[in-house]
Amino acid sequence: STLATACVISGLPESIIAAACARSGQRVLHVDSRNYYGGNWASFSFSGLLSWIKENQQKTDLSDECEDWRKLILEDEEAIPLSSKDKTIQHVEDFCFGDQDSAEGVEEAGALPKLPVFGAPAAQGESPGPEKESPAAEGIPLASQESPQALGSDAARAAAGDGAGAAPGSGAAPSTAAGDSAPQPAKTEAAPSENAAQEPKKITYSQIVREGRRFNIDLVSKLLYSRGLLIDLLIKSNVSRYAEFKNATRVLAFREGRVEQVPCSRADVFNSRQLTMVEKRMLMKFLTFCLDYEQHPEEYQAYESSTFAQFLQTRKLTPSLQHFILHSIAMVSETESSTLQGLQATKKFLQCLGRYGNTPFLFPLYGQGEIPQCFCRLCAVFGGIYCLRHAVCCLVLDRASGRCKAIVDHFGQRISANYFIVEDSYLSESTCTNVCYRQISRAVLITDQSVLNTDSEQQVSVLTVPPLEPGTAAVRVIELCSSTMTCMKDTYLVHLTCPSAKTAREDLEPVVQKLFNLNTETENEELEKPRVLWAVYFNMRDSSGVEKSSYSGLPTNVYVCSGPDSALGNDCAVKQAETIFREMFPAEEFCPPPPNPEDIIYDEDEIEPEESGLNNSPETKPETSAEENSSEGGAAVTKEE
Amino acid sequence: MMAIRELKVCLLGDTGVGKSSIVCRFVQDHFDHNISPTIGASFMTKTVPCGNELHKFLIWDTAGQERFHSLAPMYYRGSAAAVIVYDITKQDSFHTLKKWVKELKEHGPENIVMAIAGNKCDLSDIREVPMKDAKEYAESIGAIVVETSAKNAVNIEELFQGISQQIPPLDPHENSNNGAIKLGRQTSQTGRRCC
Ligand SMILES: Cc1cc2nc3c(=O)[nH]c(=O)nc-3n(C[C@H](O)[C@H](O)[C@H](O)COP(=O)(O)OP(=O)(O)OC[C@H]3O[C@@H](n4cnc5c(N)ncnc54)[C@H](O)[C@@H]3O)c2cc1C
Ligand SMILES: Nc1nc2c(ncn2[C@@H]2O[C@H](COP(=O)(O)OP(=O)(O)OP(=O)(O)O)[C@@H](O)[C@H]2O)c(=O)[nH]1
Ligand SMILES: [Mg+2]
Repeated sequence: STLATACVISGLPESIIAAACARSGQRVLHVDSRNYYGGNWASFSFSGLLSWIKENQQKTDLSDECEDWRKLILEDEEAIPLSSKDKTIQHVEDFCFGDQDSAEGVEEAGALPKLPVFGAPAAQGESPGPEKESPAAEGIPLASQESPQALGSDAARAAAGDGAGAAPGSGAAPSTAAGDSAPQPAKTEAAPSENAAQEPKKITYSQIVREGRRFNIDLVSKLLYSRGLLIDLLIKSNVSRYAEFKNATRVLAFREGRVEQVPCSRADVFNSRQLTMVEKRMLMKFLTFCLDYEQHPEEYQAYESSTFAQFLQTRKLTPSLQHFILHSIAMVSETESSTLQGLQATKKFLQCLGRYGNTPFLFPLYGQGEIPQCFCRLCAVFGGIYCLRHAVCCLVLDRASGRCKAIVDHFGQRISANYFIVEDSYLSESTCTNVCYRQISRAVLITDQSVLNTDSEQQVSVLTVPPLEPGTAAVRVIELCSSTMTCMKDTYLVHLTCPSAKTAREDLEPVVQKLFNLNTETENEELEKPRVLWAVYFNMRDSSGVEKSSYSGLPTNVYVCSGPDSALGNDCAVKQAETIFREMFPAEEFCPPPPNPEDIIYDEDEIEPEESGLNNSPETKPETSAEENSSEGGAAVTKEE
Repeated sequence: MMAIRELKVCLLGDTGVGKSSIVCRFVQDHFDHNISPTIGASFMTKTVPCGNELHKFLIWDTAGQERFHSLAPMYYRGSAAAVIVYDITKQDSFHTLKKWVKELKEHGPENIVMAIAGNKCDLSDIREVPMKDAKEYAESIGAIVVETSAKNAVNIEELFQGISQQIPPLDPHENSNNGAIKLGRQTSQTGRRCC
């Protein structure tokens, strides 16, 4: 039978499209060769991430790939092969800053090994128990000069419970690394949490392994602008009911070697201890102007051809205020962004303030990786069929019509459909020869303290570190606390992101060194900085902004979604999904609220309130309630039918 | 006023064992012979008293994603309890129960309350799964177990009462929702029919 739409891979835009299609009555099949949702938008437990790292460090070339499916292609057809190995992740380097020896044989509490499987037959997904044997050459040499022990994937396996001791390939790592039974009383360390009473909360690597399921580590690091397209879509489609969020609590700046909090709402400015009265007045005046800068063109017209940074210099702002506004509020480039871009960005930031709290951002509990799953659920609720661990070998092109008519899966099964949504990473090299990709540099750290300690340890912070050297990019840092359900108690999960110039480690390590302490033996002056317990660096392909026309030989009914982009918000994915959906079904509404009586919450006492945080930001309040009403009104009306 | 505690409960089990029928019976006291394989009706609530608390069950039904073993981890997030359903007239469905339990252990929260429901007990003349097997298995994994009939309204209330009783009392130090934000909950959704 023919499906209306087939989606391949389950990243955010594909999941939104799948939901939108199912919602408007299309039959949707959603397949992903991995055994997890989200593709490069996924999040992992700690052991899951170790497996993902291992998988991406093995650069085995599957040149002897089975091409049996070619036999299934008829004479009047042509096959467009799809790639079976993900090539979007490169330069994966992980480090353990501590005694991972003691973690040998430690098992994640209550978990079965969960192997991300790309392009593997379904049967493999279930295989219990640790994997045997490993290829000797593990790709990238992990040895590092100044860092402590490089944790190779062999060590990772050992840590995950294999306990096989020194494995081939660990020769690349310093001799203190994994496996070698160093003369250490490591095993006596069984209950570290107890005897650590005198020394506050020293988390060890083995605790991280044991508590691995408390981690939900995102491959992409993003936040939701509280008035961004994704929040609007979540609310409009009612998908928001499947998720919960935390407000980002702080916006931070890094200036003159120190991390400081940026006052951004009126209440913050008012309460700030670091600003003088004069500064408070200056800042409020400037922010108030930004909120309706369009009304006052005379104020900025003369600077339209200057950079925003230059414009700020003319505005009677102290250097620290200029820094806050440029890097932490507008978050634009000092050298490249124009005055108008800066004003727009500042306005967007300010408009998002106060809807849910004191900063403009929300973060999903359990990580960004939940969001694609929420849309997949909506799709499934409206009849979409979901198959993980299901690889697709090729698209089948009908020569006569020039349209794609089916996919062939790894069982040799043909599935017909009218539309096909494919993620960029699935396209083979021959399709992408003319495509020029950018890269994103990512780092994920597990640390023992916040970059800025205050009375509350449960903080979600956004920090922009300006370029350390001219010509490099600013680095975005998002620090998550354990109440976001992304890391274990007494640790922080820190995500660093920037557009790549070099490998992720080359791009980001300088910033990591500025903010954190990478040495196990702490010198006194370093004591204040958070310690890094574990770190991984990797580059991810940024396929956003690639024109469809740059892919060669794709039929018109095949739509390509990009992988994650490097921006902080999610507007890019939502826009892309909506654009593709409208191209496919111009007459249909995009993700309307569910009118289906079968999908209405059956409830006695549903209670209202959109959050109380509204009250604490006078500057945006009138507008806020207006919009609130309209969006809720819209939803309610459709539900009434 | 009594405190209301929201408890997420998710349902698991092979297709056709009667998961949706159980929810429908519990929430609406209604049974439909021609209920379609679950599309829609993915989220229902019902509040029941328990001691000096009110338990508001947020019941998540599978949406067919389990058919090809593609349930998203998000389905289990924050669940206080899981109802794992088999059909007493289908040995197979009891067999796969164990896989669901394993899956739950892997993806579900640590302290999740597990309840096993042997559904369709009105059809005991064509029973394939002896009650004893279910009891033994449930005991071995520390789950509660009842045989239910969504059709004849047998043991459905009891199933959820059993869950209520297993829920540990609220720790007064612990803020139940931890300041998490729910987006766009609206007022006018009362008393709508669902399946
Ligand atoms: C929670 C859960 C997770 C699973 N995860 C995986 C996995 O990761 N990888 C994997 O390969 N398999 C998975 N399976 C499927 C299971 O392993 C299959 O039953 C097995 O692969 C088939 O082996 P068999 O031929 O011996 O089973 P059979 O004896 O043929 O079947 C055993 C039982 O499983 C049911 N069953 C088998 N296949 C399916 C199916 N596709 N959909 C619905 N029911 C089915 C049958 O109805 C029967 O009740 C999972 C099953 C469950 C319940
Ligand atoms: N005799 C009898 N039939 C029942 C009972 N409960 C459910 N059924 C029937 O079993 C069939 C399947 O029930 P559903 O509630 O749709 O099962 P489900 O587990 O939700 O199935 P999926 O949504 O496909 O996963 C329906 O025809 C019901 O009428 C019961 O207690 N007794
Ligand atoms: Mg059902």
